[in-house]
Amino acid sequence: MSRVLSISIFRHNPRDPASVPHMETHELAEAPGMTLFIALNRLRETVAPDLSFDFVCRAGVCGSCAMVINGRPGLACRTLTAALPEHISLHPLPGFALIADLSVDTGTWMRELAESLETWVHLAAEPDIDLLEAPMEPKLAEEIYELDRCIECGCCIAACGTAQMRPGFVGAVGLNKIARFRLDPADSRDDADYFELVGNDQGIFGCMSLMGCEDLCPKELPLQTQLAWLRRGMARQGLRGIFKKKDNE
Amino acid sequence: MKVAKRTFDAVIVGAGGAGLRAALQLSESGMKTAVLTKVFPTRSHTVAAQGGVAASLGNSTEDNWHWHMYDTVKGSDWLGDQDAIEFMCKKANEVVVELEHYGMPFDRTDDGKIYQRPFGGHSMNYGQAPVMRSCAAADRTGHAMLHALYQRNVRANTQFFVEWMALDLIRDADGDVLGVTAMEMETGEVSIFHAKATIFATGGAGRIYFSSTNAFINTGDGVGMAARAGVPLEDMEFWQFHPTGVAGAGVLITEGVRGEGGILRNSSGERFMERYAPNLKDLASRDVVSRAMTTEINEGRGCGPDKDHVLLDITHLAPENIMKRLPGIREISIQFAGIDPIKAPIPVVPTCHYQMGGIPTNYKGQVVVPQGDNNNVPVRGFYAAGECACASVHGANRLGTNSLLDLLVFGKSAGETVVEDFEAGNLSLKPLPDDAADVSLARLARLENQTNGESVHEVRLAMQRTMQKHAGVFRFNDLLKEGVEAIKAVAERAKNTEIGDKSKVWNTARMEALELDNLIEVAKATMISAEARKESRGAHVRDDALDNAETPNGRDDANWLKHTLWYSEGNRLAYKPVNLKPMSDDVEPIALAKRTY
Repeated sequence: MSRVLSISIFRHNPRDPASVPHMETHELAEAPGMTLFIALNRLRETVAPDLSFDFVCRAGVCGSCAMVINGRPGLACRTLTAALPEHISLHPLPGFALIADLSVDTGTWMRELAESLETWVHLAAEPDIDLLEAPMEPKLAEEIYELDRCIECGCCIAACGTAQMRPGFVGAVGLNKIARFRLDPADSRDDADYFELVGNDQGIFGCMSLMGCEDLCPKELPLQTQLAWLRRGMARQGLRGIFKKKDNE
Repeated sequence: MKVAKRTFDAVIVGAGGAGLRAALQLSESGMKTAVLTKVFPTRSHTVAAQGGVAASLGNSTEDNWHWHMYDTVKGSDWLGDQDAIEFMCKKANEVVVELEHYGMPFDRTDDGKIYQRPFGGHSMNYGQAPVMRSCAAADRTGHAMLHALYQRNVRANTQFFVEWMALDLIRDADGDVLGVTAMEMETGEVSIFHAKATIFATGGAGRIYFSSTNAFINTGDGVGMAARAGVPLEDMEFWQFHPTGVAGAGVLITEGVRGEGGILRNSSGERFMERYAPNLKDLASRDVVSRAMTTEINEGRGCGPDKDHVLLDITHLAPENIMKRLPGIREISIQFAGIDPIKAPIPVVPTCHYQMGGIPTNYKGQVVVPQGDNNNVPVRGFYAAGECACASVHGANRLGTNSLLDLLVFGKSAGETVVEDFEAGNLSLKPLPDDAADVSLARLARLENQTNGESVHEVRLAMQRTMQKHAGVFRFNDLLKEGVEAIKAVAERAKNTEIGDKSKVWNTARMEALELDNLIEVAKATMISAEARKESRGAHVRDDALDNAETPNGRDDANWLKHTLWYSEGNRLAYKPVNLKPMSDDVEPIALAKRTY
């Protein structure tokens, strides 16, 4: 257990004209049960007071601490140093605007995604709260819940070939949300509506099926299956559109 | 320093459950609203809530709001205000059903209704047997709730100021609240948010303790701001220690684990809760369970090489049930305790979890303060909801699942009150005093110019250790007395903190120093209020309060059935009566009784 870790951290503050991107290495005595969250805090408390990184819940559910750990996107709060070699390299998540060091702006990205894909339940009528809840099959509820577990950490975007090449690609996080609302009987939208949102290269047809999203999703969401189903549904909808057009001609 | 001014109808500070629920009310009514938040809304600490939200839907067992109200009053050890408790329990079904329509993916029963599980202190027929009242989305209820509320706010086009930290409350000579000063973390610039109504929804301050389930952002900002601006803090001696934090890591393990059949065991494997709470056993109220665990550990029946924790055992449950109902708990146990709960019990220890006290409000979400003969005069333009507020529904001890309910009901209620006041023309944009930003600028200038000061980290650690030692699960007269002096000394040190990074942009060191100012207010309020309360009630249990006929469990109703009010200026204490009268004639007052489970 008595390892001394050597932690190399990407340092850069894009708002400081004098800042040059570089790696900075610190040594740290490993402690039992140490996570990267603990390690980074210890470094900030001792040798690097101006180090930027994000943490909130430290229990893997808020989605703020994603970073690239030895080349792989992951949640720092859930990464035990014991599971890593002595030399650890940390980089900010690619695909998002850099705030500073290990901190990136996933928030602006996620808000834009939510607005463009309208990621809320589109009710046919405003809820009548005097009525009891709308019944739902437990199995369906479980399926919706399964997809609703997304924490919007951004790992799937960092792991996605298309997202890295094409800004505006909604990625697994966006497509998974469409898959989730598509399952939900409370949502009044149909496939024609969803096709408008993701039936294009910024949406489902931009996916190259490299499967990095599923491999690296910290919540182990069944992303590839969902994306495959969505692709079939949207392709069917697209064809429907083409034939409709022909009929009209 | 130049201070920009922005003007809104309303400003909400905090974008967790309470802030988002209030924001929804305002945005949907068309009020020009700014929501300030230190972190992106879906990162707020509501996300970490696990077990569920209480509502007497009666989907799995018979239930009604009368029973829920009784349990809540009893859980509060009669310190909760019965009008606010009646309001909350009556509104529960409405706010839960509403959320279900907003897309919250609750678990379902076989007949398609919202699934409900048992939870500590919740009972049927006035304490007879456990009831199934907690509406849950597996063991990630807070996450599902926060995201559903956020999505609905995106739909309502709510304007968020993300990564803005509110610094100080602005009040004029009449004491009316005119908004807040706030710092944009990206630039370090200070702005004034001038508004007709200000709602605080800043959450709790669990970070005053060394061992806490709370996130690092839970620094009591709203509570500290209110205290510095002369608003008293109510019942701050009452802190909930959650029975089951992962030993060492402090990460929360939901009470829902015991709701699903989990059992607490000591070093000899004994189910010790049978001795402390013969009826509800492991599902007794949280303060009772935490004390029982601490007693087991103190008397040498703890587990592990240092005998410093007990075990939460679910190895007898069906693995498929654990996977379905408690998947997040299994994930946390494997990650943070290195054990798979399907095969081995989880090491747990009582951990600071929830602030029962806070900014005094009524059930409408208005902040109320004593003035002349009236103890509850609303402060014009000032509202609060959620953990930062004290309505008071939790009194001396909160029941599990009542916190998510609190933030829904009172977030909505505060929002409704603001909208009503706004539409009735009762809110006006009063002129800002010339010195509106002076307090904040002085705090920043002090930090900027400090030399030979102490690091924020050291002072914060001193505060956390002091609170842990002197105001923990059990409280001792001599330790409390020493604690008051110790925390005052730490507060002095906090006036001379120095930061190692003085850059303007994304300066987390400066932010932590400003947060410490808020934590210190909360810590002082807690220690001083606790030292003064010479009885045991709910989560506040002291060694010198005797259990006898006049003072059952050490509770002294003749002298202490009253709310504490702590004023920051001069550390002054005042008291106000508990409201023992419900708000309607639908229910009789719940009469005082000895609390047993």
